[in-house]
Amino acid sequence: MSARRKMGTEVVVVGGGIVGCAAAYYLARRVVKVALVEKSVIGGEASGRNGGGVRAQCRDRRERPLAMASIKLWEGLEKELGFDVEYVQGGNIRMATNEERMADLRREGEEELADGLMVEMWDRDELRRRAPYLSDVFIGAKYCPKDGTANPILASRAFGWAARRLGATLFTHSEAVGIAVQAGQVTSVMARDKEGELVIEAPWVIHAGGPWTPQLSRTLGIQVPIEPARSTIAVTQRMPPLFKEFISSHDLAVYARQAREGHVHIGGVGAPAGTFDQEVPAATIERLARGAAQMLPALRGANFLRTWSGTLEVTPDKVPIIDPLDGIKGYILASGFSGHGFCLGPIAGKLLSELIVDGAPSLPLHEFRLSRFAEPAMQEQTT
Amino acid sequence: MVIPEQVEVAVVGAGPGGLSAALAATQAGTQVTLIDGYRRPGGQYFRQAAAELRASRPMRHQREGQALWGKVSAAGVRFLPETVVWGAFEGNLLALHGPQGSRYLEAKAIILATGAFDRPVAFPGWTLPGVMTAGAAQALLKQQRILAGRRILLAGTGPLQIVLAAELTRAGANVVAVLEGNRFFAKAVRHAPALWGQWERLAEGLSSRLTLLRQGVSYRPGWGIVAAHGTDQVESVTIARLDPEWRHVPGSEERLACDTLCLGYGFIPSNTLSRLLGAKQEWRPELGGGVPLRDDHMRTSVPTVFALGDGAGIGGGPLAMLEGQIAGIAAAAQAGHGAAEAERAIWRLAPALERERRFQRMYAALFTPGTGLYEWSRDDTILCRCEEVTQADIRRAIPLGGDSANEVKAIVRCGMGDCQGRMCGHLVAHCIAKETGRPVAEVGLFRPRPPVFPVPVVALGQRVEENVSGAVAGAGQQ
Repeated sequence: MSARRKMGTEVVVVGGGIVGCAAAYYLARRVVKVALVEKSVIGGEASGRNGGGVRAQCRDRRERPLAMASIKLWEGLEKELGFDVEYVQGGNIRMATNEERMADLRREGEEELADGLMVEMWDRDELRRRAPYLSDVFIGAKYCPKDGTANPILASRAFGWAARRLGATLFTHSEAVGIAVQAGQVTSVMARDKEGELVIEAPWVIHAGGPWTPQLSRTLGIQVPIEPARSTIAVTQRMPPLFKEFISSHDLAVYARQAREGHVHIGGVGAPAGTFDQEVPAATIERLARGAAQMLPALRGANFLRTWSGTLEVTPDKVPIIDPLDGIKGYILASGFSGHGFCLGPIAGKLLSELIVDGAPSLPLHEFRLSRFAEPAMQEQTT
Repeated sequence: MVIPEQVEVAVVGAGPGGLSAALAATQAGTQVTLIDGYRRPGGQYFRQAAAELRASRPMRHQREGQALWGKVSAAGVRFLPETVVWGAFEGNLLALHGPQGSRYLEAKAIILATGAFDRPVAFPGWTLPGVMTAGAAQALLKQQRILAGRRILLAGTGPLQIVLAAELTRAGANVVAVLEGNRFFAKAVRHAPALWGQWERLAEGLSSRLTLLRQGVSYRPGWGIVAAHGTDQVESVTIARLDPEWRHVPGSEERLACDTLCLGYGFIPSNTLSRLLGAKQEWRPELGGGVPLRDDHMRTSVPTVFALGDGAGIGGGPLAMLEGQIAGIAAAAQAGHGAAEAERAIWRLAPALERERRFQRMYAALFTPGTGLYEWSRDDTILCRCEEVTQADIRRAIPLGGDSANEVKAIVRCGMGDCQGRMCGHLVAHCIAKETGRPVAEVGLFRPRPPVFPVPVVALGQRVEENVSGAVAGAGQQ
């Protein structure tokens, strides 16, 4: 148990979620030596336990260019990675049950069109015509045809598998416990697994630890305002094909995707922030069932077959932190994706690889700095 | 949001153990709610004929069951039939679904008498129609008076096979042969003392064996299945001799014609509810697999949760009934009734319990399947029937990071289907264990999550209309 192993590499990625694995993949593709340490399994947390939506619409304006660029990557991902990740560009429908919501969607739609994202506003009749499977509580919707869905379990893992195939070293069941810094420069990462301690020396560390990020960054004296939160999904038995879009309603707090095998995945019910607990309480299952039956009449004849919970991480403004910190050379934070990491994972990984290899990313990242939370306007919300 | 009904003692499962527990807890002064998925109490052991067939003469176990049920119902136990417990949550909360829809019970004490299910065995052709578990053939016979087939081959281990073969023969079936995986005669001598006092069992076994002898049914210890053949239906089965670890002995194959193959390779404890409630488990192959840790009062590591019978370790009906009496008394004491007498009552049952435990140990020593049983599948054999996942698929997932049953499930979907992993759970775990050279206990089983039975969405989302307006009122929130 006391064995201490040592190795050297060019980049250490902490965290084997989709962001970390995508970073490892894009770095390996550019012939950078990468080692990734993951406390459990690849894609085992929020990356593999989410609704499987890949959307650019209904996003914070700062995230929108990233989401749009990420979808371009998603379109070629299966070919790129060599794994079937069940990606379908089936569109995304955000429904409204009331006029205020419709007005919000309309405003958002105008902004999206201005930013080059193709969306359509649907009134009640158009919604009936285009999505007859939805219940009549909805008075309209915004639709984005380029959005889609994928299988989160497979897509997140596929980045890990592809990275490994390109020569990246993946250490699973291996928890990063420390990051060493000398003279303002990252020098190594310490990890612990069941065989003992592992020291990986490298001049670069990408810290993509999701909700577990703050505890490690704190050892460097860096406070990251990230809270864990629970998200639960319920899955029905196999149903005949009902819909190919990702559908959601904020009014009913519910979203759904029908997976390739026919199971309908229902999500949208969270837990109070601050919990790492991954139980599935009875009340959550009830609320998901209620939302499902309200949204999709066809599910009134279906059974729930499975449920699961995952832990995602939330920043105060629900926008990620992607930041090569000024204070510590070689240390890049990439965390706080606030439930948006699945869609953004590929582009985040690619931009991280560009930061290291090219010295500058192909899309600006200044909106995602950690320091935005320290600015006076934000301070009250973060403390 | 979820408003449970408060109850004193909830007993899940109305087989012999659950009925005994319900009776004992009621006699100790508690109010008991007894829940079972079937219409009539009794479980598999006391399984009753369907109402339409009541005119026919009940079998011995059916008469015993009727007598016990008579006492339970006279004692005033509330019985919820056709009701599944689809979830168990922190705080002794049980989620039920039955004819009255969905409801929740919050119990001062929970007694889990969930029983067991037949151990699935995968080999080429095991998914053909006509291949069934011995339990299914027995249920058809007991409940519906239906013969599973005309020419029936029985394969498995244990005396239940002989009993079933005799029942089938008496009912008019042609039993082609009975294959017994273990060669237990030599070992049996050592365990003879455990049989002292088990006169009913010996008599039943002997009478069954005599029936088979009279009918000329061949009984073959040390034989097992290689493959079932047929196009739409089993037409023949290749069998082979087994070595002591239950691997096929090459060159010993024979082919037998039949239209039905009944598999009786023992049972797997139904432990999902005790796992959901957080009761610590241990891996005990001789007890059928994963079982909850218990003290002398049948109390699990969760103080208000008791487990008994086959669901806590395969031991059969008589042991379940004794454990049920103890659990009933202990759960009543937990709920605040008869605590003073409980210790003495349990102490009085100790000798009978020890006698049954001795029998259980003997049974396990003679009739636990060898580990070679899990090597009867080939790469193209389906292990997960619901999602049609083959052994090759599972082996492919291992180098991709599939180091546990859960992770393999995530990668290739085995266990994600309608049976929720009941059928393939042990098959997948053993396959990974064999492939990686790690113990099954370390590979683990699929993690149970509610619902543990499929539950209708509408049964949960009942107050739909009311909630739509409620949600609209809060529309401004994101």
